Amino acid sequence: MTETGERTDGFIVRKLRLAGALIIAGLAVQGASLWWNHPLSFIAFLGLGGLLLAAGILIYLIALVTPAKS
Amino acid sequence: MPAAAVFGVLAITAVIASLIVARPAITVAREGKVLAFLGLFILPVFTSVLGFDSHMERSKATSFCLGCHIMEPYGKSLYVDDSTYIPAAHYQNHRVPADQACYTCHTDYTLYTGGIKAKFRGLHHIYAQYLGKTHQPIKLYQPFNNRECLHCHLGARNFEEGTTHSTMLDDIKSNQLSCVTSGCHDMIHNASHLNQVKMWSPKK
Repeated sequence: MTETGERTDGFIVRKLRLAGALIIAGLAVQGASLWWNHPLSFIAFLGLGGLLLAAGILIYLIALVTPAKS
Repeated sequence: MPAAAVFGVLAITAVIASLIVARPAITVAREGKVLAFLGLFILPVFTSVLGFDSHMERSKATSFCLGCHIMEPYGKSLYVDDSTYIPAAHYQNHRVPADQACYTCHTDYTLYTGGIKAKFRGLHHIYAQYLGKTHQPIKLYQPFNNRECLHCHLGARNFEEGTTHSTMLDDIKSNQLSCVTSGCHDMIHNASHLNQVKMWSPKK
């Protein structure tokens, strides 16, 4: 328990870390795709970068709605 | 939005996400929760929208269209040293923007004229290029629409008042008479015969 009465249990911490890591990876792919003007770069942006970002956001939202264990 | 702004938002998002990864405990405090919501939800969505828009904008570039191997002869045809070759004459004399040459005359491949169907066709083209089978020679999905010529030429004095076009203007506007297949301006890319024509080399 923290001073504010909220938990920072391992499950949420792991989920936040995973979400952040996936979002950073997605951003890296999307950023790299913006340097390359080629039809495949759009596929990389959407297919890989978008997928990583969506997965990261989803995991973050799951962590957000998961009730803290008492 | 300029590319620098897109990269700026992307960098800010990456910094906030890195902070959450390095110190997830900061999300315990109210400010930390807001920061996490920004860095792990709002900004990544915003970055994706900006990036998507940037990619859509860049897909108008001539170099984008010519990125696939199958399009190479069509790019080469823009350098034919013969003014009867309509695409070459337009490209070399900047009657169309040189950096958006394909997009200017093939608007039915764009989202606004071709709709979402055009974008799915684009995805299919990438699939065919890298994983499937391409058909040579490539063909337009629909006959070339005079609209592509008229969005520049219509309203131009030398086009509308010239003796040649003024007598058939209604037929041209209604696509009854095609600009490119009715025997008037029928020398288009002619991509399969490029080894038989003289090429233009632009001065550096």
